Amino acid sequence: MSAEELLEKLSDVVIKGKIKEAKPLAEEALAAGASPEVIIFDALSKAMGVVGQKYESKQYFLPQVLLAAQTMYQALDVVLPQLKAGSAADTAAKVVIGVVEGDVHDIGKNIVKAMLTGAGYTIFDMGRDCPTKNMIDKVKAEGANIVATSSLMTPTLAAMKEIERILAEENLKPQVKSIIGGGATTKDFAAQIGADAWAYDAVEAVEVVKNLLK
Amino acid sequence: MTPKERFLGALARKEMDRPAVGCVTQSVTVDQMEWAGVEWPAAHTDAQMMAKLGIAGAKVFGFENARVPFCLTVEAEAFGATVDLGNRVKTPMLKAHPYSSEDEPAIPEGFLEKGRVATAIEAVKILKAEYGEEYPIVAGTTGPLTIAGHLVGTEDLLLMMITEPDTVHKFIKVTAEMEKQYIAALVAAGVDVINMSDPSASTDMLSAEMFDEFALPYTKHAFEGCGDAKKILHICGNTTSLLEHMINTGADGLSIEEKVDSAEAVNIVNGRVALVGNIGSVKPLYMGTPEECAADAARIRDAGFNIIAPGCGLAAETPKANIEAFVKTIKG
Repeated sequence: MSAEELLEKLSDVVIKGKIKEAKPLAEEALAAGASPEVIIFDALSKAMGVVGQKYESKQYFLPQVLLAAQTMYQALDVVLPQLKAGSAADTAAKVVIGVVEGDVHDIGKNIVKAMLTGAGYTIFDMGRDCPTKNMIDKVKAEGANIVATSSLMTPTLAAMKEIERILAEENLKPQVKSIIGGGATTKDFAAQIGADAWAYDAVEAVEVVKNLLK
Repeated sequence: MTPKERFLGALARKEMDRPAVGCVTQSVTVDQMEWAGVEWPAAHTDAQMMAKLGIAGAKVFGFENARVPFCLTVEAEAFGATVDLGNRVKTPMLKAHPYSSEDEPAIPEGFLEKGRVATAIEAVKILKAEYGEEYPIVAGTTGPLTIAGHLVGTEDLLLMMITEPDTVHKFIKVTAEMEKQYIAALVAAGVDVINMSDPSASTDMLSAEMFDEFALPYTKHAFEGCGDAKKILHICGNTTSLLEHMINTGADGLSIEEKVDSAEAVNIVNGRVALVGNIGSVKPLYMGTPEECAADAARIRDAGFNIIAPGCGLAAETPKANIEAFVKTIKG
């Protein structure tokens, strides 16, 4: 197969969640001369875009999306170590993402992470129930462009307010943009606390982050 | 008419001068804690305290039901999950899952006499003895699918619905049987209404076909424990397309969120079951104004809901004035 056909096939494998086929295909694509960037942007990113559309149109539900994400990560395990410093993907915007302190619901965060990874951003995943201070420290240490937090539980919304307060207090804005999401949040709430953006779901989050970085 | 007659009448879809008003999802707020002189997290593990907070919504705000316990981690903890009981304003949270997918899950021996399962059953007995004539006792329980997610991790459970569906069935089968036994014990202790919350069965997670495979038969099985007690099924998110499937569980009432259009829900359900909800718990109840809460309650009443209630669990710091406004709108 040509590199182009391999990329096409890899994209299909991610969309269909054929998890065992992802690694060998990514290796084949590299061997056939496809660069890591091309594999990320022309195969994986495209595939996650399609997965997002299928989720929006209710052809896919969470299990299929999670499986596609796992499949993409398999390919990334092969491709990412091959990235050369200074390449387009290496210098892509950096996103610190996490579930705020007090909440352990992280499926939504993981989907957003997968979509943003698919879109080519460098992601620093702070996991769930993450103390506000750790989140801010990571933003500073990595020189991140975006801090993305999620909360499903109303009582933990206060932590998002706290993040905004610290970002302002430490003069990290406007270099660092904040985006929030999750079941307990609304667009109104984001505006109220001074967050730069809010997204309804992971698909919208990709668009919103793109706009924030303009 | 006692609150009990009205609440149970509303669930049975009887003609009445007004709908019932109450809360079948998490109903405790800090103002109720103040009235009761009892706080979280202590009330999660002490039957007397739990009962006191369980009636507080009725005493402070005029809810037409009592309700215990206050979280969805009781069952998972009985299976051995590690739980952080939270604090005064934060509900308990799961810290670790007790099983991995290869394990054979088993109903924990003697679980009805242990831990917070025993606390909840005891709290029901206290409520029944003190308030059982006047108020219906609602017990909040967890759906078998959600409990199974707590046992192996919800994300893994969802993935396995595609990769290893048999493993998923293996777990939910056990959680459904455990739930049936727990519900039967709650009903024997005096519960009038079981509210089963199954957040992991939401349309945000599953297709209707997946609901029919992984939730429906097990919810039915667990509901068998109810006997003569009434059954309410609560599922979060926009459940418009799921209402038909929820009715198939045999529930007497469906509790739904504000993401479902109230009038559309009434249309779809068409008198086959009672509708409970659907004032937004975050907006307007937690973050909005009393005027918005009153307007929402009136709109939902006029749409034809049987029990006007928060669409999901109340945040502990929900403002007093907002709850008062929605209750007053219904009671006049």
